[in-house]
Amino acid sequence: MIRSLLAGPAAGTGSDRTWGGIRTATTWGAAVGMISAACLALTAGLVDLTAGGGDTPVLLMAGGLAGVASSLLVARVNRPDRIRPSEVLSGATTALVSMVLCVAGLYLLTGAAGQPDDALFEATSGVTTTALSVLDPNSFGRGLLLVRAGSQWFGGLGALVLAVVILPFQGSGGEFADRSGRDGRIPLAPNQRVALRNIFALYVPLSLVIWLAYNLAGSGWFDSLLLAMATVSTGGFTGPGNLLVDGETRWVAVVGMILSGTSIVVLWRLVVGRGRGLLRSRELRSYLSILIVATGLFLAWSGPMEGVDLREALFTVSSAITTTGFPSDPMGEWSAALPVLLLLLVAIGPMTGSAGGGFQILRLRILLNSATREMVRQLHPRVVARVRLGGRVAEESTVRQATVVQFVFVAVLFTTALVVATLGLDIAAALSASVHAVSTAGPVRALDGSILDPSGWPRPTRLALLPAMVSGRLFLYPAAVTGGTLLIELGNQLRLRRRWRRWRARGTR
Amino acid sequence: MSAIQSRWATTTGHVAGLALLFVAAGMGLGTLVELLDGTDGGAMAGATAITSGIGFLLWRSTRPGRLDHATVFTAVGGTWLIVSVMGALPYLLAGTFDRPGIGLPVVIADALFESVSGYSCTGSTVFGSHNPIAAQGTGLLLYRQLTQWIGGMGIVVLVVTVLPSVRAAGLGLIDAEAPGAGVDRLAPRVADTARRFWLLYLGLTILVAVGLLAAGMSPFDAVAHSLTTASTGGFSTRDASIGHWDSLAIELVIMLGLVIGAANFTLHARSLGTRRPLHHRDPEFRGYLGVLGVGTLLATLMLCADGYGPATALRNGAFSVVSLGTSGGFGNATTRGGPGDFASWPAGPQVLLLFLLVFGGCTGSTSGGVKVMRLRIGAAHAYRTLRSIRRPRAILPVRFGNMVVADHLVERVAGFVVVYGMFLVGGTLVVAALGSDLLTALSGVFSALGNMGPALNQAGPTASFVDGYSSPGRMVLALLMLVGRLEIFPMLLMVVAPYRAIQRHAPVRRPDRRWRRFPR
Repeated sequence: MIRSLLAGPAAGTGSDRTWGGIRTATTWGAAVGMISAACLALTAGLVDLTAGGGDTPVLLMAGGLAGVASSLLVARVNRPDRIRPSEVLSGATTALVSMVLCVAGLYLLTGAAGQPDDALFEATSGVTTTALSVLDPNSFGRGLLLVRAGSQWFGGLGALVLAVVILPFQGSGGEFADRSGRDGRIPLAPNQRVALRNIFALYVPLSLVIWLAYNLAGSGWFDSLLLAMATVSTGGFTGPGNLLVDGETRWVAVVGMILSGTSIVVLWRLVVGRGRGLLRSRELRSYLSILIVATGLFLAWSGPMEGVDLREALFTVSSAITTTGFPSDPMGEWSAALPVLLLLLVAIGPMTGSAGGGFQILRLRILLNSATREMVRQLHPRVVARVRLGGRVAEESTVRQATVVQFVFVAVLFTTALVVATLGLDIAAALSASVHAVSTAGPVRALDGSILDPSGWPRPTRLALLPAMVSGRLFLYPAAVTGGTLLIELGNQLRLRRRWRRWRARGTR
Repeated sequence: MSAIQSRWATTTGHVAGLALLFVAAGMGLGTLVELLDGTDGGAMAGATAITSGIGFLLWRSTRPGRLDHATVFTAVGGTWLIVSVMGALPYLLAGTFDRPGIGLPVVIADALFESVSGYSCTGSTVFGSHNPIAAQGTGLLLYRQLTQWIGGMGIVVLVVTVLPSVRAAGLGLIDAEAPGAGVDRLAPRVADTARRFWLLYLGLTILVAVGLLAAGMSPFDAVAHSLTTASTGGFSTRDASIGHWDSLAIELVIMLGLVIGAANFTLHARSLGTRRPLHHRDPEFRGYLGVLGVGTLLATLMLCADGYGPATALRNGAFSVVSLGTSGGFGNATTRGGPGDFASWPAGPQVLLLFLLVFGGCTGSTSGGVKVMRLRIGAAHAYRTLRSIRRPRAILPVRFGNMVVADHLVERVAGFVVVYGMFLVGGTLVVAALGSDLLTALSGVFSALGNMGPALNQAGPTASFVDGYSSPGRMVLALLMLVGRLEIFPMLLMVVAPYRAIQRHAPVRRPDRRWRRFPR
């Protein structure tokens, strides 16, 4: 298959014949993942060179190779007649997986990870912005640290592209996208190309602003860079040691996390001067309300804990709801409700259209409204009731999709918890780890609030979390579509009975 | 009189009054047993008198009003609330939960908890080592078992069998109370349908009692356990539940009774009517047996992998899976930490049991939980939606067996699952905030909403709910038991129906109203 992929359309099928949509989409996806990894490796190699690190040759060579390989792939791809939404979603999944594999390769080649499964876990955790780490970053040079933080940055960017450029156009939920150019407005996503450009125009400056803020707060330029990448992508890897020690840095982290958990549509409207009336957005109000209420609850329930003030409460709560996962160690004995609150926040996640994971607030609101509609229908069975959000009527396909995401979320959660528990974690840790993996958030906490170290878990357990992380980063829906599409394609390829019949028919002729 | 007052004062009062008379009959039976047994039956007799008095007054002083949807939900929800409160009287008057150092509010809360757990067929208990079941009188124990038997088939179903004034709209009342997506008529008249359900239920109870008697239980225990097996309730007259006997034969009879009790009673009735079993043709029943089978297999394998012998693993795995998968909630642990105590099992099978706490039995049965049919329709709905991405123009119906499920039913199922999930999440947070750890809170809420009985961690099959939950936490669980027993909407709508946000949808554009304008 790889040979035919490299050979392109000329291999046996005739150059005049176009590729199937699924092959084109997955090839493009693989190429995008490899190009991202190549950019990351080359940049990391150059940074490593300036710091006199020992990983420079490996990073530069690996980056170069990945770049050449991806260029080869792109050059050989033929355009299909048409490309279907399911194939685009498969391409997005392939991009994520190929980047994970490339970054894992970098960890292995540089010797940062001794075992392939460690490399795979760290890479998946990085690219999916989960922030569960099994490697010790204290032994990393600057190049590898940049690879680790950069994998998150690219992962966050990928999540935004998926949420704003791909899903509303190829899946459903387009009615909530910022498309209208009415009354001279400048919309975020009038079409896919402009949406992609606008995301870059927002994501890169936001990263730079947060970098500058960390720098002004007292962190060194490189530490600030690592922190900014982890913050803007809602990643959560903090680099060597705890970089978030002093108060100013933690305040910057709080603001950065809240901004990163905000929908990019809201940020866009602020940037282009359409900020008036933003607070009328029900989703934004819900996000801020949850943040405020959860902070209040955290403060109320942390009575006996030492050193818990507004900043600490905001830091811990925003780290959970934005699924960033910056660690905050327990300050004394936690009440039983606090880990449950944080787990719930992680599962809810931030606004839709942000780089965060979790179920996300728009979907939650759709579910709430559809539940209210169901109650109304119980009382008035003939009523024609629509699900409305912020004055807009949600299409039935969007409501259906939110329900399906709930099913898939629960299914992935239970399956992962069952497998992980069977492979050796205790039941509370298994449930907590699977919620964090599906929501792409770290760190996993025990019942007493202490942070669990995944490097102490059995290796099969860690591997069992990877599918949950990947599907969580893809907002579950594309992962399920891709899984189904690939299974169908595999079934089409392996229809042995039909092939056998054809072969026999040819033989009799 | 406003619509809300009329709803409460007329229909709800009337149905609740008659329901209380049935409850009083159960208490009267308990009094009789106490008198025959030679113990002091004063408390039971007092509770019988008060309950029957209030019930009679309510019944006589009210007349059923109009039976619109809001009234039906209010009547069913209100009746269950009133019955649960009055059902706590025997425990209160007998001082069952009085213990040193405990205030009256906690005693009342414990009595309410036990009553709600009984009528909702949950089987969670606040009896424990501090207050053993074995120390209670036989009359009180029989009443406790009867609460589950009455609640199993449904108090309102019982009321409809004898209440002539609501017969025309009785199916709506049964529908609101019965588990599942709706009730099929077994006879042209609603009262006959309700009566047949009760006869079938009585028959199953007698069969289980005979089976338990043959397996070696005493007559009292056999009758008492048959009441809670047919109703998939889970209350026992012994502190160690079924583990007290440590008998494979008794466990097998209980398991068989639970499996039949958690299957669709309409299916049983039709099979009896045609004199041949129709169960194998029913997709829900096949799925239900499949889940129990796969669950048993997985639990057995996981227990074997943890070092249990194959026979012990199979026996305990099968019993726990059937007990929780049917929402029974019996335990077969002989000692705390023994092979049957699933709270001390390894994590893998415990996660499996947590799943079963949500799963439940079949629709139209006495079991709780989400139900197999809903889960299957939900899964088919998810599959359909995912397929529609690949084939956007294809018309893809949701199928259940050979039937195509109408879209409004699919949406109803999806809505139910959404609300169920929200109750699970919200309940867990509230119970944890009231002092329980994550696992105890989560499994307790799963167990309460699914009417299962035992939970995990500090509230396992050998533990009392006093150990795992604070008193307010237990009250939240009791509320969730009622919500779960009535499958959420009746309790929810009873509370929210009067609100304008719900009522503003009331002026519906019905075709008849619109057409009326044109001909004139």
